[in-house]
Amino acid sequence: MLKILVFLPVAGAALVALLPARGQRLWQAAMACAVGALGLALWLAAAFDPAGPAFQMVDSRAWNVRLGSSFALGVDGVSLAMVLLAALLSLVAVLVSRRMTDGARLYFVLVLLLESAMFGVFTARDWSLFYVFWEATLLPLFFLIDRLGGPDRQRAALNFFLYTLGGSVFMLVALLFLYDAAPGHSFAMADMAAGGRGLPRDMQLLIFAGLFIGFGVKMPVFPLHGWLPLAHVEAPSPVSILLSGVLLKMGAYGLIRAAETLPDAFVAAQDGLALLAFASLLYGGILAWRQQDLKAMVAYSSISHMGVVLLGIASLNPVGLTGAVLQMVAHGFGAGLLFLVVGLLYQRTHSRDLADYGALTGVAPRFAFFVAFGLLAASGLPGGAAFVAEVHALLGGYVRWGGWVVLLGVAMLVGAAWALRVVGRLCLPGPGRPLADMTKTESAAAGLLAACIVGLGVWPAPLIDLVAGSVGQVARLFGG
Amino acid sequence: MNAVADDLLRLVWLIPVLPLLAVVVTAARVLLGRAQGDAAEGPTARLLSLAAFGSLALLLAIDALALQQGVPGHRILGVWFATDEWQASFSFLLDALSLPVATLAAAIGWLVVRFSANYLHREAGFHRFFMVLGFFLSGLQLVLLAGNGVLAFVGWEMCGVASFLLIGYAWQRPVAIGNALYAFAVNRTGDAGLLFALGLSAAWVGSFEWPALAAAELTLVEARVLLLGFVVAALVKSAQLPFTPWIARALEGPTPSSAIFYGALLVHAGVYLLLRIEPLLAQVPDLMLALVVAGAATAAYAWLCGLVQTDVKSALIFATVFQVGLMFVEIGLGWSTAATVHLVLHAAWRTWHFLLAPSWLAVTRERPAPPPAWLARSQTLYTAALQRFWLDRLAQVLFVQPTESFARDLRRFEEGFVDRALGEPGRGRAVQPERPLVCADGLPGTALAAVAGVLQRVENRLLLRGRGGAAERLLVRAGDWLQTLEGLLEQPRYLMMAVMATFVVIL
Repeated sequence: MLKILVFLPVAGAALVALLPARGQRLWQAAMACAVGALGLALWLAAAFDPAGPAFQMVDSRAWNVRLGSSFALGVDGVSLAMVLLAALLSLVAVLVSRRMTDGARLYFVLVLLLESAMFGVFTARDWSLFYVFWEATLLPLFFLIDRLGGPDRQRAALNFFLYTLGGSVFMLVALLFLYDAAPGHSFAMADMAAGGRGLPRDMQLLIFAGLFIGFGVKMPVFPLHGWLPLAHVEAPSPVSILLSGVLLKMGAYGLIRAAETLPDAFVAAQDGLALLAFASLLYGGILAWRQQDLKAMVAYSSISHMGVVLLGIASLNPVGLTGAVLQMVAHGFGAGLLFLVVGLLYQRTHSRDLADYGALTGVAPRFAFFVAFGLLAASGLPGGAAFVAEVHALLGGYVRWGGWVVLLGVAMLVGAAWALRVVGRLCLPGPGRPLADMTKTESAAAGLLAACIVGLGVWPAPLIDLVAGSVGQVARLFGG
Repeated sequence: MNAVADDLLRLVWLIPVLPLLAVVVTAARVLLGRAQGDAAEGPTARLLSLAAFGSLALLLAIDALALQQGVPGHRILGVWFATDEWQASFSFLLDALSLPVATLAAAIGWLVVRFSANYLHREAGFHRFFMVLGFFLSGLQLVLLAGNGVLAFVGWEMCGVASFLLIGYAWQRPVAIGNALYAFAVNRTGDAGLLFALGLSAAWVGSFEWPALAAAELTLVEARVLLLGFVVAALVKSAQLPFTPWIARALEGPTPSSAIFYGALLVHAGVYLLLRIEPLLAQVPDLMLALVVAGAATAAYAWLCGLVQTDVKSALIFATVFQVGLMFVEIGLGWSTAATVHLVLHAAWRTWHFLLAPSWLAVTRERPAPPPAWLARSQTLYTAALQRFWLDRLAQVLFVQPTESFARDLRRFEEGFVDRALGEPGRGRAVQPERPLVCADGLPGTALAAVAGVLQRVENRLLLRGRGGAAERLLVRAGDWLQTLEGLLEQPRYLMMAVMATFVVIL
């Protein structure tokens, strides 16, 4: 079943690439594939039994027997949540590109390939396979930014590629170390986890450092975030949605998997991780406050919001870890919505500078609504998904670090400051400029994300139940 | 028979709730836009009238029961909220004091509702008046029937709010608003006293129930402090000295409301409160003495002022205050039964007076009696009475003016320092000229801007993202060096040297 999920988008990509049609037909084909993938992911979620074994629907066959690598797929609660997120955001990315004319074929093919690679990352049960899929996400992204991005796209693409590849190299070296150090010589995640746990602490720390550089670049964690602002700003908006919505989560997801493998190192590095989390929170928030470029604001705020994820992971208790996973999902929806709206605005005005916009109310009420909704949800207003996630992360962090979590509150405050500045400029009555409002398709995509945000914010229990088993398993390693 | 009686007593909560239900229904009609025009007045008035009559009928039934089987006493219907030390319950105290007074209040309330229906016909705030009136009736029944101080306090506040709204009934006139505010502000002093007393009851007695308070065993000092709160509340509500001036200003409302509030019912709430805690009061003789003094002084004051009034409502209100002062004297002397009887008779009598007041001139066709000769002769006393002993002026100088100047100082401090330090929206200056929308003001804003500036420099300089950052420059320079090296290596002689060197190393 998982194999079909992973390779369905590849088949779709081949179909789109070879289809003789143009324009709407291409879009319809890509949509069909994205909807199919989402349907399949939902079916998987329905078939998943949260009370059952940790990893379900496992599908494993030997790949390279001499190396000990295997083609193994399987899902637990966390990865299933990520798969659902990736499927939904891919659908949104395809949905909003209905009007795309230049390079539509290339775009749809690359997005579908990217979706496949993301599914692979989240379902891989073998570190070598994980690494392959991890690298496989880079290629479509590189070309998406490089071919379809903004004016400074080439430097952004190269920058992004070099940064993440640099991180991946460290990750690869660390994985090889782990492979070498752990008995059994197998790349399967379960085997490597069993081996890794037995290693002495210093060795674990060394391997962890390598993995952390790889995952930290992707997340991104201060000070490894250099690629993010430029790449987010220059990437075409639907790609920004995927980039911030799903790709950043790969780093956090990898970190959770690493926690299962190297528990001693995590305990030793716990305070350091929290320090980095707080630094990311404040750094991203303050720089977002200082921007006047809409996309740069959202990009920097992503750093801040991923700091919440890191804080939750670093707390190493069930509440904090739940908060981290919830925040991964919440930020996927929230940042996705914001990039979607900002991207659509850019498409119409070709400006990202806040000063170039007037009030949207009256001129484009749907834009005004979704801008305000997205910003308020992102600043953690109760009723939104981010609120639930932040409360969990806050509680988890409080258990471990007490009053220091007030820094999270400060970061939220700064985040609210810039969000309200934008709301005041765009969504309150004032002199406006002519602007075409969102079309039905675009409103549907934004509405889908908004509904998910509110749904999760009001009734988060299904997601919490889904991830509870996996989170509990990780936390148990740390006495949680 | 007993089962029926029990059922009846279990319904006692309906007495205050019925008028409230009428208020809710009327409010819903107003909100839905159904209450417009002459035709809508009838249902509003009839509804409240029906509710008031329902309360009255219930009370009469309970009275009949009490006459047959003796008073039901203290009834707890449920717990409202509680801690380990105390609990506030929904309890009602139905005894020889509360039942007659509550019955009388319900009867007067019903009559006043009937009276108002015609009196306020086609007034702008017809529905508003009936809503507030219903709210008041509900609050008053809570005060009278409540079995504990907390529930009585709720009713007490409802009465206060309702009286505020009715004094300011003609809100288009600034005088009405000013008087409403004045009365409300003075009444808050009494509310503070009551709340203070209730807090001490929770701490020292561990209960708010009236029977528990009456039977509480407190030291003399504790009892005195506790009772002081109740006494202040009573003095304010019943407009005794030194709080009398508010009631003269409270006549601003429509006549039926004046009748029910100040003539008949609300002005007696203070007396009623003292009668409620009379057993405890009897333990503290000095407070009893204070009550006698305050009551006698008020009576004298009201008598003198009443003699020189020229309009019927003012004359009536001073007569009312005079009688209430006498009730305080009676309570202070320990004649609580006399005070109760006095209260009931006076309330009934005075209601009739007030309701008749608008047609007084038509009925009598006479000029008001001139002040007696002895008062007219003594110029000092006459002026003092005419000026109501300058109590308003005194309050102005002693309380209002110091408060105002203090508030002015605080305002200046706020504007000059706090606002500047905290920052105000719309006053911020741009952090950078090229980003006019990123503004900061106040200390936190400036600090944030400074930190943001430093971080932006770090971001630009440290990280590999161009804009002439240090990392990029280093990379470019390293690239140049490598290119030069490569260029050299491409030349045959250096290539050969490199190959030779390799061989040397290998060998």
